Amino acid sequence: MSENKIYFKFDGKKYAGNEGDTIAAALLRNNVKLIGRSFKYHRPRGIYTCGIEEPNALVQIINEHNEPNVRATVKKIYEGMVVKSQNRWPSLKTDLGSINNILSPIFSAGFYYKTFMGPKGFWKNVYEPLIRRTAGLGKPPKEFKSKSIHQHHNVDVIIVGGGLSGLLAARKFAGTNYDVLLVEREDTFGGILKNADKIKSINDQPADEWLEKTERLIRNSNNIKILKNTLVTTYNFSDHLIALEDKNVGKPQDNEKPELVLHKIRTKHTILANGHIERFITFRNNDLPGVMLAASFEKYLNRYGVVPDESPVIFTNNSSTFSLLKSLTDLGHKPKAYVDIRDQKNIEKQTLELLEKFNIPFYPKSEIEGCEGKKEVKKVSIRTKKNQITKIKTSMLCVSGGFNPDIHLFTQSKGLLKWDKDYLTFKPDRIFQKTITLGSVSGNFSYEKLLVEVEKKLSEFEGLNELEVKFEINGPEKFQIKELWETKHEKKSLWSKSFIDLQNDVTTKDLRQAVNEGFNRIEHLKRFTTNSMGTDQGKISSINALGIVSKILKKDISEVGTTTYRPPYSPVNFSAIAGRSTYEFYDPERKTPLHSWHVKQNAVFENVGQWKRPWYFKKSEDETMHQAVQREAEQVRKTAGILDGSTLGKIEIKGKDALTFVNLMYTNSFTKMKPKTGRYALMLGEDGMVKDDGIVCKINEQHFIVTTTTGNAASVLAHMEEYSQTEWPNLNVYMNSITEQFATFNLSGPKSRVIMSRVFNDIDFSNDQFPFMSFNNFKYLDTEIRILRASFTGELGYEIYVPPSYALKLWQKFFISSRDFDLVPYGTETMHLLRAEKGYIIVGQDTDGTVTPLDLHLNWMIGKKKKDFIGKRSLTRSDIVRENRKQLVGLVPVDKTLGIEEGQHVIEQKDLSLPIKDPVDMLGHVTSSYFSPNLNHSVAMALIRGGKRKIGSRLFVSTENLNTIAVEVVEPNFIDPKNERMML
Amino acid sequence: MFTIKCPYCGERDQSEFSNGGEAHVARPKDPEQISDREWSEYVFIRANPKGIYYERWVHTHGCKKWFNAVRNTSTDEILKVYKMGETPPPLKEFKDTIKTPSGEPDVGSGNFSVKKP
Ligand SMILES: [Zn+2]
Repeated sequence: MSENKIYFKFDGKKYAGNEGDTIAAALLRNNVKLIGRSFKYHRPRGIYTCGIEEPNALVQIINEHNEPNVRATVKKIYEGMVVKSQNRWPSLKTDLGSINNILSPIFSAGFYYKTFMGPKGFWKNVYEPLIRRTAGLGKPPKEFKSKSIHQHHNVDVIIVGGGLSGLLAARKFAGTNYDVLLVEREDTFGGILKNADKIKSINDQPADEWLEKTERLIRNSNNIKILKNTLVTTYNFSDHLIALEDKNVGKPQDNEKPELVLHKIRTKHTILANGHIERFITFRNNDLPGVMLAASFEKYLNRYGVVPDESPVIFTNNSSTFSLLKSLTDLGHKPKAYVDIRDQKNIEKQTLELLEKFNIPFYPKSEIEGCEGKKEVKKVSIRTKKNQITKIKTSMLCVSGGFNPDIHLFTQSKGLLKWDKDYLTFKPDRIFQKTITLGSVSGNFSYEKLLVEVEKKLSEFEGLNELEVKFEINGPEKFQIKELWETKHEKKSLWSKSFIDLQNDVTTKDLRQAVNEGFNRIEHLKRFTTNSMGTDQGKISSINALGIVSKILKKDISEVGTTTYRPPYSPVNFSAIAGRSTYEFYDPERKTPLHSWHVKQNAVFENVGQWKRPWYFKKSEDETMHQAVQREAEQVRKTAGILDGSTLGKIEIKGKDALTFVNLMYTNSFTKMKPKTGRYALMLGEDGMVKDDGIVCKINEQHFIVTTTTGNAASVLAHMEEYSQTEWPNLNVYMNSITEQFATFNLSGPKSRVIMSRVFNDIDFSNDQFPFMSFNNFKYLDTEIRILRASFTGELGYEIYVPPSYALKLWQKFFISSRDFDLVPYGTETMHLLRAEKGYIIVGQDTDGTVTPLDLHLNWMIGKKKKDFIGKRSLTRSDIVRENRKQLVGLVPVDKTLGIEEGQHVIEQKDLSLPIKDPVDMLGHVTSSYFSPNLNHSVAMALIRGGKRKIGSRLFVSTENLNTIAVEVVEPNFIDPKNERMML
Repeated sequence: MFTIKCPYCGERDQSEFSNGGEAHVARPKDPEQISDREWSEYVFIRANPKGIYYERWVHTHGCKKWFNAVRNTSTDEILKVYKMGETPPPLKEFKDTIKTPSGEPDVGSGNFSVKKP
């Protein structure tokens, strides 16, 4: 044992432990037994096990971002660690929540479903806050920046578990051509060799020596990679496993290095050598601090050199407790009593010899009825073979109810189980993937048979090493067990309980009640009682529950079946799953070439997909968003404004069949369109619904450039690729995204022609030379730019496409050339306002995937003479042509001082008198609404049933506080209905 | 959680691909000539079997090529991949393929880890 003391704090008090101690080992070393309070009843709980299966001893690590629900039996201490107990208030010793224990009748099985039914409002105001206060585990962790990473492996063989069986398998593979990954969840190899004194020697040398040699041999082989402190949590379909590595075992967190690594492993073969878990036996008050599993007690002796108690009572139904007896007596300690439910004649002679030699009180054919004590065990009651109760004073009780092969991963892989009648346990039967189970996980509890098993199961691999291993065993070789899930107990006070699930506070009485209430299928019973639904997933108790239920139902246990084991094997930190994909790495940010200019001009940004777009520009510190948007929108129609449209999706389409293809992708007809012109175009899905819109520019019949909405750029390109590759592979056509090849400026307003002429003084922008919807390429400095005359505001407008590296200079030139016009930079909010004044739609705001071009009165955009385009056939489906579909209309409030809210309902009735008894007929909803500075009242667009026919009528729009606003239904075109301004 | 062998790039992680639904649902040659019902079946109706399924995939974060695959939907095993336009392998080629994970019925989820007697 190391003499270096390590100091840590538990609930404010300082304790010393040894290097390598877990929190539990260190606390036991200091004789601390009370660790926490239970989930529902707030009963005192202690340390039940010595490993990952621990249901009780969950703690919060304060100095690690308040990390909750950490198993004290796994987490290793380090200098300065600060640990707190959980689920107690105000303190561990005086916990007010323990009143729940007395109120327990209302907390019985299904209590969540039955108790909190009413009266109305009680759930939200009374029950939920109460339950959140008193039930539950730790407190959530504080926000922190994880440095966890993911690592990928591609191997021939993974060996899960570096215990005896795993090491034998690894030894077979050492130095061969197989690429092997050996994964061990603890910081040392050896498993049972380290935990118990069951094996005297291997190949005539002490087990420790053999272990050291074997590890060296494996380490020196160049084909085996070793991962320690790594827990395999998941065994997916198609030979894919996930493992979680803790990089900081026994060390404080390092702020520079990853603390957790999530390993994603693809393998050809999986060798499961992940051992077994001891299970408990239920008796009265089997949850008291001081009750511990026997093999766990032995592990504390052997692995940590901690003696949790010098004279415990041992209670067993099987032969395995011999080694605990031996370990204790070897150390010179004498158990208070040895209670075995088996008949003396069935108990192994080695055990009987030890009991006799050390004169240990021996109770064959007897069982523990229950135990007493307030905060820990003080006394146990033994029901002797003559059915008499004998009480013994003791502070600790070691229990062994047998062993379960740790089949969690095996069943995750979809392997099938069968019930072993001799060992009373489920074990692997049929594999589903390329899985091999070795040792106790396969249901083999015999060391002598282990070697044969390894040789046989690995015989499918070629060129493996010969193994020569000879074991000398301490104690009985054959494992022997007698069935017992729960002992008979006397009726005691309300405080007396017999638990089947320690973490979720489920009692065996709950199981019986659930079956009585009809929950006799094991999956239903699990959910109704919450048995084995804690973070430990009932590792020490779920098979016991099956045993008890099978007895109640008078069925064979294999008929009852197990519940489904789902990944992960043990809780995985979210930070490990997220890996590096957090904060600035969560999603890329895309910025336009003008971003720095926007920042300097006090732009407030909006996220549009991954893009950062100026939402509006703050002219002064105290200008509000509304003021800014009104100012920008007014200025555009007064003189001119400029928008950074670089985020607009741009796709180049080329090929001999480009025209045919574009005709198929969009509703419009492009055949008769002249080169160097553009057209506002609609893209539909095959269901006839509007998918996207944009401008299609025809350079010639074999070359087009189309624009898409910012958010749909990727999906429109994917949609085009899909059709060109799958439906029309005969068409010669190629698509390429050129979104980032050009910065785009949208200049708009009555003065934009003058401004354009000043910026590009050698280009003729007259109506004759540069008509609406025409474009051309021009030389600019030593590069080429494209100018398109188009408008999304209803004003005279131009779009300028310029290579990004020239963008900022050119953008600035616009402002220098137009000082006398107060050219205003505007953001997306103003753009939305201006287009709404004109009734132009935004795909995704005024449409929602259920809207056709006909619903939008965009019939003129449909090339009716075209034989086919995507979605065309759907436009004549009976549901699409029906009269009263929801259609786009404009709304103007009758009282022009009022504003309309987006998303509100459009209805026919004026009054919504409370309480609303009859359903109100909803005609539709408001899709866009803005206050227009140019009209000095609100304008709105709405999708309403039979909208077309309702134009000219008066309807009502609901408001937040259940009033209504009277509105006139109008054509959705509020300003300059004859479109004279953009033809200027 | 599986890998897919792109016919153009080779075996890659599933996360690089996107699923494109049932394969071999041809777009009607002359949509105007068919009934609403026939057209709607093309647009909206797809098979959803437990077991062998012919489906389309696209190597989104790779070569961006579309291709076909035969997948066992109850085990996520990709049994075959082939290029667009190639003749699909006949169903009988997969008659020895295990249809569902151990213990599961042919229809429904099952979730049995112990074989029902
Ligand atoms: Zn590919």
